Amino acid sequence: MSKKKPDWQTPGVIFQPHVSAGVQAGINHLVDAISPTLGPYPRVVLYDTSIGTGGRLPQVLDDGGTIARRIIGLRNRDADVGAMLVRHMLWRQHEDVGDGTATTAVLFQAIYNEGVRYIAAGGNPMRLRVYLEQGLRVILSELAAMTTQLQGKDSLTRLAEIICYDAPMAKLLGEVFDIIGEYGRLEIRSSKSRETEREYVEGMYWDGGVLSRAMIANTPGMRAELENPALLLTNLDIEDPRDLLPALAIVVRMEIPGLVIVARKLSDVVQGFIAMNQQQQRIKAQIIAVQTPGVGLEAQHNTLADLAVLTGGHPFTQMAGEKLSAIKPEDLGRARRVWATKEHVGIIGGRGDPRALRQHIAGLRRAFNQVSKTEDRAALQQRIGKLLGGSATLWVAGMTETELEFNKGLAERTAEALRGAIREGVVPGGGVALLNCRAALRVRLAQAEEPEERAAYHILIEALAAPIRTLLHNAGLEPGAIFADIETAGPGYGFDVRTSEIVDVAGAGIYDAASVLRAVANNAIRTAALALTTDVVVHRRNPPESTLTD
Amino acid sequence: MSEDTLREFPERESSPTALVYSLTCTPDLALCFAARTDGLLISVDGGHTWEPAYAGLDLDGPLPTTSLVFSPDLTRERTLIAGVSGGVVYSIDGGKTWQPVALASPPPTVSALVISPNFIADGIVLAGTMEDGVFRSTDRGSRWSAWNFGLLDLNVLCLAISPDFARDETLYAGVDTGIFRSTNGGRAWREVELPFGYDPVLSLKLAPDYAQDADDAGGVIFAGTESQGLWRSTDRGQTWNRVGADVISGPVNAIVLAPEFGMPMRRSTRKIARSLLVMADDTLYFSHDGGETWEADSITLAGMTAVAAPQGFAAPLLVGLENGEIIYVMPPLQQEQSERR
Repeated sequence: MSKKKPDWQTPGVIFQPHVSAGVQAGINHLVDAISPTLGPYPRVVLYDTSIGTGGRLPQVLDDGGTIARRIIGLRNRDADVGAMLVRHMLWRQHEDVGDGTATTAVLFQAIYNEGVRYIAAGGNPMRLRVYLEQGLRVILSELAAMTTQLQGKDSLTRLAEIICYDAPMAKLLGEVFDIIGEYGRLEIRSSKSRETEREYVEGMYWDGGVLSRAMIANTPGMRAELENPALLLTNLDIEDPRDLLPALAIVVRMEIPGLVIVARKLSDVVQGFIAMNQQQQRIKAQIIAVQTPGVGLEAQHNTLADLAVLTGGHPFTQMAGEKLSAIKPEDLGRARRVWATKEHVGIIGGRGDPRALRQHIAGLRRAFNQVSKTEDRAALQQRIGKLLGGSATLWVAGMTETELEFNKGLAERTAEALRGAIREGVVPGGGVALLNCRAALRVRLAQAEEPEERAAYHILIEALAAPIRTLLHNAGLEPGAIFADIETAGPGYGFDVRTSEIVDVAGAGIYDAASVLRAVANNAIRTAALALTTDVVVHRRNPPESTLTD
Repeated sequence: MSEDTLREFPERESSPTALVYSLTCTPDLALCFAARTDGLLISVDGGHTWEPAYAGLDLDGPLPTTSLVFSPDLTRERTLIAGVSGGVVYSIDGGKTWQPVALASPPPTVSALVISPNFIADGIVLAGTMEDGVFRSTDRGSRWSAWNFGLLDLNVLCLAISPDFARDETLYAGVDTGIFRSTNGGRAWREVELPFGYDPVLSLKLAPDYAQDADDAGGVIFAGTESQGLWRSTDRGQTWNRVGADVISGPVNAIVLAPEFGMPMRRSTRKIARSLLVMADDTLYFSHDGGETWEADSITLAGMTAVAAPQGFAAPLLVGLENGEIIYVMPPLQQEQSERR
């Protein structure tokens, strides 16, 4: 008997009770694919990449956000709506904080399923939504009260291990973040060796290598190094040698040993002019020209502003309409050392005013805390990280390409969660922080008068236990008896599945990043509350081509 | 107290050729070192006579030396490390022979050195430099790496290391714009918030009981600034209060804690010794209660650049001058006692 093919061509409008049933099926379908990845003994999901591409290795996934991302449609159109709702929620969680997707999925599912049951019994979805969101505020307040700051390599390592369940990687990331801090620059790259390793780079460096390879052709390792150079900072195109003459005259007059020209473009004529003068010994200073770092005028403008503060120079920008002919000695930045390759330029020991640098970074930090757009925050974090005087590279190893990619993804997620933990603190881990919030909800429940209010608190109290139950289930344990023991032990106690003991989780060093848990609660409760108020689904004709699962 | 009175106390030997940057002695005075602009001097008789310490080094000219540290237990390990213009020189035989080490290129000028109290086991020593931040060696001074994560001001003027460094890995760096703290052995630094803005911090000192709980009077740090006087924190740098504001004026170039600072004064009492002195401009100021109050008697001496109290404040102090002289000076307490006698 042939399977009935889905009808993706017919538009339609679906009403209750079909909406809840369909959406719920899709939600449960997706969450059931993700919930096995929760906890220290997670199962992984193999993603078959051979569809349409022919025999590639499957991708190993253990991150709910990525698993959800890979499922881009369900055959049942009503179920597909529910699944896509979860998919979007989990990807947002993944993008914002890097961790907690499985917890979000499980919490969301528990709230949604109980909510559907209550509404089916005649409850008012809009009133329920109001009280679920009120309960969210109680939970966030409780999480804030539980938050403590995390310090030191050992604490960071323990948290990293809880996130990635990979002790050697956790040890390296704990050390790295103890050094680079929450804003520090960390590059995660593929290693050719068998061991994951870390490397620290002194000073700051930017993308934007030399404008002419000839300038590094005769240097060891194609890397130019200048000591005590001056820096000319601009995002102008330098087309005419005469534009550069005033700066060169200053360098010659002041006997500066090197000049780094940071510019958008240096014409062949200008490059030839510099080379000729150096050959003829008219200019003894070593000169290199590097591309103004940053893509686009705004990014270049920001980088030049950072370089100017760092080196004490003045940036000549297109935006300000300035000309290089007006350059004065004090406009040139200075640094102890500058290096350049074909891809990067690095500065060690910028000689700008440290007071100005500290104020500049403080301003960037304030801006970081004020902006909410993910891309803006990422850009500001990068700018701050580059100015902090060093960076780290994690060279991630893997026996196979599949393992390597898996480990890199794991390292990236762990790093993101560690940043959040350093910046915004930690709460007791292992699902205990959410469990601890139930006491405050019970107080609210006792005071509640409206049926929807009581239902909302009751739903949340039950749902907050779902992550810990799933975690125990995934570890192959029977949640019922252990959960009763946790309840008996009291607030702050949880089950350490690695030692099979009821422990004070914070005392045992088991933490979750507070930022992750806040995002979990926010995403799961708000999305569930919204989904519960859905009454009608509109299907459009011809959704985008997708890979469908049954 | 007049300068004439003080001049009654100088012991022998002075070498009026160069400014004295720092003076360092073993507690028993078996070895004393004077770091000067013309090199390093060593004394093996408690500072009575001085000899050039770099005799074994083949030098073209004077090697300006700013600081010196030595192994915490010279009977077990005779490592000396001196900060010089351009790097460090180190000796593993108590100063008989020396090895120069370049830290980086261009060569930095070392302004301060600290050695791990656990040096015999961990071999860690750190150097603060004038323009290049902090360098760290984990192999007894033979190889060095710059570690300046988060150190937003690379002009390091002084360093201070926790007495319990083996456990807490804590260090402080006084820089041109304030103070930075490291809690991972000097590999990364964080700004310490100060109530006096971005004033240069010229001197730093952690109490010997710094690592104890604040409830037990631990966590004490003193910071001497260029124009904002002397500051004290009793909570490991979280909050700061100015001390001696009505007495101490001028740049606070040195802070010296009595060797018994933080210890019980007598076995029968619970009183803790809290004597310290600070050198501000040309004057030494004394406090015996951790900086709460300051003695009316201070010592003023023109051209004073360095001070050491290897045997506490009940014994003569060793003072270095800008003309290179090294003299002994009686602290007020000692003077009072000798007047009574």
